[in-house]
Amino acid sequence: MNPPVIDITNLSKFYGKVRGIEHVDLEIGEGEIFGFIGPNGAGKSTTIRILMNMIFPTSGSARIMGMDVIRETKKIKNQTGYIPSDAGTYSSMDVYEFLSYCIRFYRVQNGEKRIADLSELFELDLKRKITDLSMGNRKKVSIVQSLLHSPRLLILDEPTTGLDPLMQSNFFELLLSENRKGMTIFFSSHILGEVQRLCKRVAIIKEGRIIQVENIETLRKKQLKKVYIEFAGRPGKEDFNISGIEGVAGGSGNMISFMYSGDLNALVGLLSRYTIINLMIEEPSLDEIFMHYYKL
Amino acid sequence: MNRNLFLKEIKRNTLSLAVWMVVITLFITVTMAVYPVFLANQSKIIGMMSLIPSGVLQFKGISNFTDFLSALGFYAVNNIIYMMVLGSIYAIVLSSGILLKEEYNRTAEYLLTRPLTRSEIFLSKLAVLFINIFLLNLVTSLAGFVCLELFKNAPFSIKAFLILSLYTLLLNMLFGAVGLFMSTLVKRARPITTMSIGLVLILYFIFTLSKITESIAKIGYLSPFRYVNTDVTNPAFSINFWHLSYFIGISLVLTVISYRLYIRKDIYT
Repeated sequence: MNPPVIDITNLSKFYGKVRGIEHVDLEIGEGEIFGFIGPNGAGKSTTIRILMNMIFPTSGSARIMGMDVIRETKKIKNQTGYIPSDAGTYSSMDVYEFLSYCIRFYRVQNGEKRIADLSELFELDLKRKITDLSMGNRKKVSIVQSLLHSPRLLILDEPTTGLDPLMQSNFFELLLSENRKGMTIFFSSHILGEVQRLCKRVAIIKEGRIIQVENIETLRKKQLKKVYIEFAGRPGKEDFNISGIEGVAGGSGNMISFMYSGDLNALVGLLSRYTIINLMIEEPSLDEIFMHYYKL
Repeated sequence: MNRNLFLKEIKRNTLSLAVWMVVITLFITVTMAVYPVFLANQSKIIGMMSLIPSGVLQFKGISNFTDFLSALGFYAVNNIIYMMVLGSIYAIVLSSGILLKEEYNRTAEYLLTRPLTRSEIFLSKLAVLFINIFLLNLVTSLAGFVCLELFKNAPFSIKAFLILSLYTLLLNMLFGAVGLFMSTLVKRARPITTMSIGLVLILYFIFTLSKITESIAKIGYLSPFRYVNTDVTNPAFSINFWHLSYFIGISLVLTVISYRLYIRKDIYT
């Protein structure tokens, strides 16, 4: 059996006394598209930087394709592509020079053709100086450089910043196509929609700790419901101050809405005390699920 | 060492190296072009200089008027500031930025995610640093040699010239190692160019002040300039073993420490 492509065990990083990440455990299998969600400062980039050996962990270990991220970083990077969230540029280089420089680090056959094909796909002008490019075009250069050597693993840190919707769509199609060929994708983002569109499994990171690792669909279906109720008379919010109910909000008229996690029969039992005009129970959006976990 | 990275760095630093070569060569040429004029008017000039307080002359690096009379003495006294101070500024600016530039230009995220070890990155950049400092010294020394040949009034000691050139190279290399060491100590990515240039100038002024003020003469030992012998007109002029050991030893120690720090450094962009 193949080892997990990414295997993180009890990984912690402190910047002096400041927490980066704490006791992070993650296991990502071959061929997965794995989402890594959390707001700024939650520890996403710290985790990725440890994986790419830009920073060193305070404790714990991380392995990629069975290899230690510190001792065997060179072998790992031969098979890994990385798209930074917002990297700088080599000001003296044009796009072609930069991509040629990047590809020469790998043993790629037909490198020129690979550069030409990917640049065409992303409509990149190879003769332009990188400093003259817009943010979106720089992002495209960043995407192309990560794919030049057809990596087995692609690590993306907020990769869609600056891309227009059409290019985002092309990019996602390309990722799905590469994934079908066997590429594992580790996708870090705070935009839940794109994670939902692309990923099968997701880890939610909060204040440096992983609080949930779940299939996207399971996460969505996991008993967490958005409940809207219209009452004949207006009940007090305090009536709903019970376990499993949170985020009680009053709407127009006698409407009340809240998030509910637990046994639906218990909720129906509670509601039977009231005269109800309308009851609507729906799947929450991923954003609402995300916020739910963040309030825990 | 990685060939691709090495070649990219050589190319990246070529223009700056060429500019420094041209500037220092011009300074040397212009200064040496004055030598024939000086010789033609030496009695008047020495007469004028005898009126200048000895402390001021020592500040300029002139301990003896006879230093001025030979072409090599004139070259050693007048060109030290260009070849040693400017060369050291070039070396420390290059070395303090060669690793750190990837961090504050935020290109480290591209470099460190290539199939390279930290050792390969460090050694590739170190090789570029060494070659650039060596080439600067080679070209400016050649320019000095050509000027001496053009403007000399009598044969000069090639051996003394080579020793002086070696001291200049060693001093520049030492500042190269200092810059590299400083850059590995920086936690957050930001340029340290001003601080580096300041350090060279402060150490030069400590050296010159220690020469004119006896009470602080010992402070001069803190400055690497103190260990450069420019007394080329002295028949006993030779390489001082301890000074040679000082330059090579400190350069090696700082380079090894920088290497150890860099391979374990957290790189932020």
